[in-house]
Amino acid sequence: MPAHDVLIIGAGLAGQRAALAAAQKNATVAILSKVHPVRSHSVAAAGGINAAVNPADDWRSHAYDTVKGSDFLGDQDAIEIMCREAPGEVMHLEHIGVTFHRNEKGEIDLRAFGGASMKRTAYVADITGQALLHVLYEQLMKHHEVIDRFEEWFVTSLVIDEQGACVGAVAREIRSGRMEVFSAKNVILASGGAGQCFKPTTNALICTGDGIAQAYRAGAPLMDMEMIQYHPTTLAENGFLITEGARGEGAHLLNSNGERFMEKYAPNKMELASRDVVSRAEQTEILEGRGVGPDGTGIYLDITVVPKKRTLEALREIVNIGKDFAGVDITAEPIMIQPGMHYIMGGVKTDVDGATPIPGLYAAGEVACVSVHGGNRLGANSLLDTLIFGRRAGEHAAERSYHMPMPEAGRERLAADQELVAEILARPKSGRRVSEIKEELGTTMNRYVAVFREESGLQSAHEVVRRLKEEAKTAYVDDKGTVFNQDVLGAIELGYMLDVAEAIVVAALERKESRGAQFRTDFPERNDAEWLKHIDISRDGDETPHVSYSPVTITQWQPEERKY
Amino acid sequence: MAEFTLRIRRYDPSSGEAPYWEEHTIELEPHRSVLEGILQAKAKSDGSIGIRCSCRAAICGSCGVRINGQPGLACHTHLDAALAKAKGGVIEVEPMGNMPVIKDLIVDMDAVHWKKIQRVSPWLINKQPIPEREYIVSRESMIDVTQTAACIQCGACVSDCLSMEVDPLFVGPAALAKSYRFVGDPRDAKHEQRLRDLAEDPHGIYACTHCFKCIEACPKGVAPMSQIMRLRRIAGNDFHIEDRNNGERHEMAFVKNVHKNGLLHEADLLPDSYGGKFHPRAVPELVGSLPVITTALLRRKVTIGKALGHPHKAPAGVKRIYDIVEGRDQRVELNLYITGTDEDSAPAQPEPAAAGAEEATTS
Amino acid sequence: MKVAYWPGCVSRGFTPELHGSMAKVAPLLDIELVELDRANCCGAGVIAEHSQELADTLNARTFALAQQEIDKGASLMMNICSTCQGAQSECQERLDANAEYRAHVNETLQASDGLEYEQGIINKNFLWVLVEEIGLEQLRSLVKRPLTDLRVGPFYGCYIVRPSARLGIDAEHPRDAYLGQVIEALGGTVIDYAGSHKCCGFPIITMSKDASLRQAGTHLADATDAEADCLVTPCPLCHLNLDLQQPLAARAVGRQLAMPILHLPQLVGLALGLEPKELGLQHHVVKPTSVIDWTQSVVAGVGAQAA
Repeated sequence: MPAHDVLIIGAGLAGQRAALAAAQKNATVAILSKVHPVRSHSVAAAGGINAAVNPADDWRSHAYDTVKGSDFLGDQDAIEIMCREAPGEVMHLEHIGVTFHRNEKGEIDLRAFGGASMKRTAYVADITGQALLHVLYEQLMKHHEVIDRFEEWFVTSLVIDEQGACVGAVAREIRSGRMEVFSAKNVILASGGAGQCFKPTTNALICTGDGIAQAYRAGAPLMDMEMIQYHPTTLAENGFLITEGARGEGAHLLNSNGERFMEKYAPNKMELASRDVVSRAEQTEILEGRGVGPDGTGIYLDITVVPKKRTLEALREIVNIGKDFAGVDITAEPIMIQPGMHYIMGGVKTDVDGATPIPGLYAAGEVACVSVHGGNRLGANSLLDTLIFGRRAGEHAAERSYHMPMPEAGRERLAADQELVAEILARPKSGRRVSEIKEELGTTMNRYVAVFREESGLQSAHEVVRRLKEEAKTAYVDDKGTVFNQDVLGAIELGYMLDVAEAIVVAALERKESRGAQFRTDFPERNDAEWLKHIDISRDGDETPHVSYSPVTITQWQPEERKY
Repeated sequence: MAEFTLRIRRYDPSSGEAPYWEEHTIELEPHRSVLEGILQAKAKSDGSIGIRCSCRAAICGSCGVRINGQPGLACHTHLDAALAKAKGGVIEVEPMGNMPVIKDLIVDMDAVHWKKIQRVSPWLINKQPIPEREYIVSRESMIDVTQTAACIQCGACVSDCLSMEVDPLFVGPAALAKSYRFVGDPRDAKHEQRLRDLAEDPHGIYACTHCFKCIEACPKGVAPMSQIMRLRRIAGNDFHIEDRNNGERHEMAFVKNVHKNGLLHEADLLPDSYGGKFHPRAVPELVGSLPVITTALLRRKVTIGKALGHPHKAPAGVKRIYDIVEGRDQRVELNLYITGTDEDSAPAQPEPAAAGAEEATTS
Repeated sequence: MKVAYWPGCVSRGFTPELHGSMAKVAPLLDIELVELDRANCCGAGVIAEHSQELADTLNARTFALAQQEIDKGASLMMNICSTCQGAQSECQERLDANAEYRAHVNETLQASDGLEYEQGIINKNFLWVLVEEIGLEQLRSLVKRPLTDLRVGPFYGCYIVRPSARLGIDAEHPRDAYLGQVIEALGGTVIDYAGSHKCCGFPIITMSKDASLRQAGTHLADATDAEADCLVTPCPLCHLNLDLQQPLAARAVGRQLAMPILHLPQLVGLALGLEPKELGLQHHVVKPTSVIDWTQSVVAGVGAQAA
């Protein structure tokens, strides 16, 4: 049975960074991922990573922008840590080989990004996430003797012992179907977000909320689950992301009158206001009849105003996306976009070291909620978040492991999960197909829990989710084999998605206010007096979500009116 | 919406049966991808079809397959384009080549692709001292290596590498492109060692058969073969690595041959690649080629006069070109990936009016 | 039509039958060959490996010489070698893309020969000329000896089919299917086999000899198993590795091979009524006995004898 000081679940940026940090602290490390690490969804991040590396810049300015961007729901102690440590982390990345773009002097070049008061986004063309992820994986290959990699292993449960500590996880080797229990002194969840609960979404098929649900089922609280970011520029049909970097380079947003309508909503920052502001602006234009496209549900993103040579150099990937997936040459004509589900600010509640209230259980990256993003995440802060808190969680977990004995995770969970798999495989064809339930979940969430929400819509969504949870219990699969059975994993993922979706809806119903990404047409104002607090959701063995609150940590910046 | 027929190569290892073809009919708009077609077949009729996939947007590199015999990403291939190249109106999808098949369209990339990547020490070995802030390096150098850093490790180039087909030990296009990512990086301290290692490896940079398959296969413009040629260029020109595989010798023999003769004089090229007509390395080759040479002489394909004599001489203009170009201090190399074409640098087009809208009012 | 004709190096060296058969076939197709006898080797991709600028300049020189003929009335530049086509197209891509670089190269041309390359030369392989300039209909009408029952496998040569974008291969110009179209126009049967668009191995014959010969041997074996009577190729370098090296290639793959390899002008010449001896078929290492019997009629399927 594998036993390690630190077991990391998920090998995106947060997970890989945690692994390297823990190994550097001489802990024994295992990193586990249901896909090959370089397929993790971090690879799709495009625009860049924020850091106040410019000597004329100040991390406090970055912190303030982040606090304001969060609509004052972010915890300022965590935000201070992230922004203060950012420049060091970016330099570290450059030293291990990231090929950041340079200015004429050969220094790291910085581009403009949403909600930023100064240019502070370091980038690699428009493939920054890929560049970072592959460089981290190079380091994992380099340190292969001290970091054990379990690639294409799927976690089915966390293992919690009788004292309530997390002592490992149960996982299935996808290639063979065999299941194993992993013991660990510490477990770090780094399994990303839950975009597949929505359809369409920019997120990959693997973003099914696994870690959020696993922590939730283990008794850890989830925080800020109502905060779902709709990215302003996604392709209408398939939800593909068009990076904010395009607007950073100067692209315009136009309605059917050809107007740069952002002037009405954010006269200062225009297209580079925070994402929730821009998405709401677009959605308003669409609802008021000024949308473009055959059914008026789109907005034009006009990149032709950027010099062609610059576009081909710094936005190469979206030139390809435009050509390959939308049949548009973005250097010659505008491309049609609309707001699309992109990121979940909420997640497993942690402190600034990535620790959850469950001893031995950590979380970092999109799966976690520290919270540094509060009600809305600034572009290029997510790559930063994953690395800062991935590193901190890895270090903290490694240090925690020094003076404790190696637990032996019991085999009860393993037996239970093996039974679950057998049960799924045995289900008759009388139920619904997994893919049908997933489709209904996605369209429902995108209808009622999107940019604009209100009570009756949210209640409808809740009813649908509850019904789908029932139907999921009898959803059947075709593949009864053991080798690379993706079908049965899909059924398990469906369970994760439904748990996460329920938490999202309950939190959205609970917050009777509009803040950040949550906009309730029935409560359109921000209400600091009653709602300057986090909404926590947890489960108590009876499978119904319980709501509680936790305070927002304020250090320097008192909440103020948020205008862009 | 249109109907498409996908013929998918199935293989179930636990059945003990051989792989077989299975047809699925799907209905989607023609510009959707083959991956979406396969996912529809999975969702509606057979969830056991195995294919790796994640991002659907050609960035994660999971869904490498062969479509109508050509390697590529399933998510990146449109159904109508695939149909245009299909035989008998049926789009064939099978797993990538050169790698063992685990199940259906899923191959064992660890056994081949990743093993070769690991072989080239794919991590930066820092030039010392490491500065406190960033290394100061030129804009162009970072854009240059971004071309190879853009590789998403999808395996399409490895799948159809023709050298690897006959020589499974060939280090291969993905790994060699990855090596260039460091050899081209001014912050790496081991350029010469990397090159020496891969030049001396009999399955290294000189084992590439120069067939362009990897350039054609790559969905990200990495152009692996071009990177291999750059590795050869740097190994030979900058570090004067004279490898055991006759790679550098062959290259220089060709260059000098044309300098002397203006045209390629084949009879000299073979022995010169080994070191010269009477060089110990060349003698066994020449002896081994005697039957072929004899046949060629008997058939009057070649005459002794033409073979040993030099009927062509390089015109003065050719020699002068050599003098000028080879005499430069610094190699001049145009990299279209960095510079773009003249067309790309043309001034921006005037803003086109949105369909059915009035002129844009700019703020 | 008049063409600025670049015959390449190997057609005047180890495959003289190519040069000779092209000269015989051209007048039958109404092509006047104005040979660029002062031009130089294209570098075959090997000179470019050593120095891109050297290869670009050498080919710019050839292009400039061709343009002199085009100014005097030739329609375009024509080559008879896949490798020349590919190597020259790569250099042309760089020269045409960047005016500054082109000016830099022209400086050298000026100093060396008083020549200048103007952007945009049309350089077509004989295969493309057949289909695009002469046309399949015209070609069909000129056939005197249809290659009925002759099973011909195409072998393109990598340099003329990849990368497809650079070589202008698209829906309107399916240049990677032209050999099949020409074979059919001449009355022959096209044989589909695995190796038609693969690599003959020539580039690594001195570096990785076994891998080189195994490629050639495998494709020849595949063609044999597909029951081709012969292969046809537009590349003399491929011809060398497939014909001259066939005995060694056979040994490398452990098969008996007797697959005649025809140059494209030879195949066209036979169909247009020329005699095998005029086309130099007697110079091949692998006797083309499954293509012709020496009573000088084209016969298919005659039991092939070992070379």
